[in-house]
Amino acid sequence: MSQLDRWFEGMTRQSARRVSRRNWLSRFGGVLVGGAALPLLPVARAAEKHTVGEDGVKGREGDPSRCEYWRHCAIDGFLCSCCGGSHTACPPGTEMSPVTWIGTCRNPADGKDYIISYNDCCGKTFCGRCMCNRNEGERPLYHWYRNNDINWCGGAQAQTYSCSTAVVVKTAKEAQPEK
Amino acid sequence: MKLALGTAAFLLMAHPAAADSYEEHDYTLNCSGCHRSDGSGSRVVPSLQAMPELSAKAGAREYWVQVPGAAQAPLSNARLAALMNWLVERFVGKRPEPGYTAQEVGRLRSNPLRDPITRRTEIRRATPH
Repeated sequence: MSQLDRWFEGMTRQSARRVSRRNWLSRFGGVLVGGAALPLLPVARAAEKHTVGEDGVKGREGDPSRCEYWRHCAIDGFLCSCCGGSHTACPPGTEMSPVTWIGTCRNPADGKDYIISYNDCCGKTFCGRCMCNRNEGERPLYHWYRNNDINWCGGAQAQTYSCSTAVVVKTAKEAQPEK
Repeated sequence: MKLALGTAAFLLMAHPAAADSYEEHDYTLNCSGCHRSDGSGSRVVPSLQAMPELSAKAGAREYWVQVPGAAQAPLSNARLAALMNWLVERFVGKRPEPGYTAQEVGRLRSNPLRDPITRRTEIRRATPH
């Protein structure tokens, strides 16, 4: 133990002799400012593209509580992210409807189209927060399985609509509409 | 060496075939929303896993294309024929013989079912062909 004490004492005395306080302050300041400026560099911004979301899809997660979020390109309803759930999970006390409507959205992070399943959460009164109505690729009511004006809670135990999720199923081979 | 060449040839042949097939994509986008990805359906949607009940009956082959979900899908006749061959193989266990063609699918689609549920009951009660 005394050996460690002596070693530290020697180091401290040596640095006190060699390095001025101002020198140390300037270097420490440089590290602080430089560290804060690093994410502004293009290298750091390019690295963000390679981040992976909770469901393994590449790209910045973005803000799932906003209508502009890429997975919400065809949504019509209240975002579960604003209602105590997330874009992949229902709020407590609600049940995810087994039947759903399905569309495609383009992920700006990798330029690929993904198949998105807009499962509704059912069983509690409507959430009323973050109403989004983007409807890209949505079809008229006579193509019911591509329509989002239907109450998809019809397949759940309780038919009261609460909010909508946007679950990535997998990558799409082409964007809607089909060729 | 032979094995390596054989593997390379296999990979070269296998890749374009996989890239051109839309069956799984078309199933996910056009069927799985209601029938679900495992085909089990729900309280309000018929199960595709029950297709073997009809597979040996007369009229089943035509019925499967004439049901509204298939006949009205926004797919070309060729894509729907490919999807139906894939779907029957997946849920019945063997490919339809002969396979559906674009012509056959086009003809069946132009003759929609007036009452799909009654038609299904009729086919189920029919004797195997």
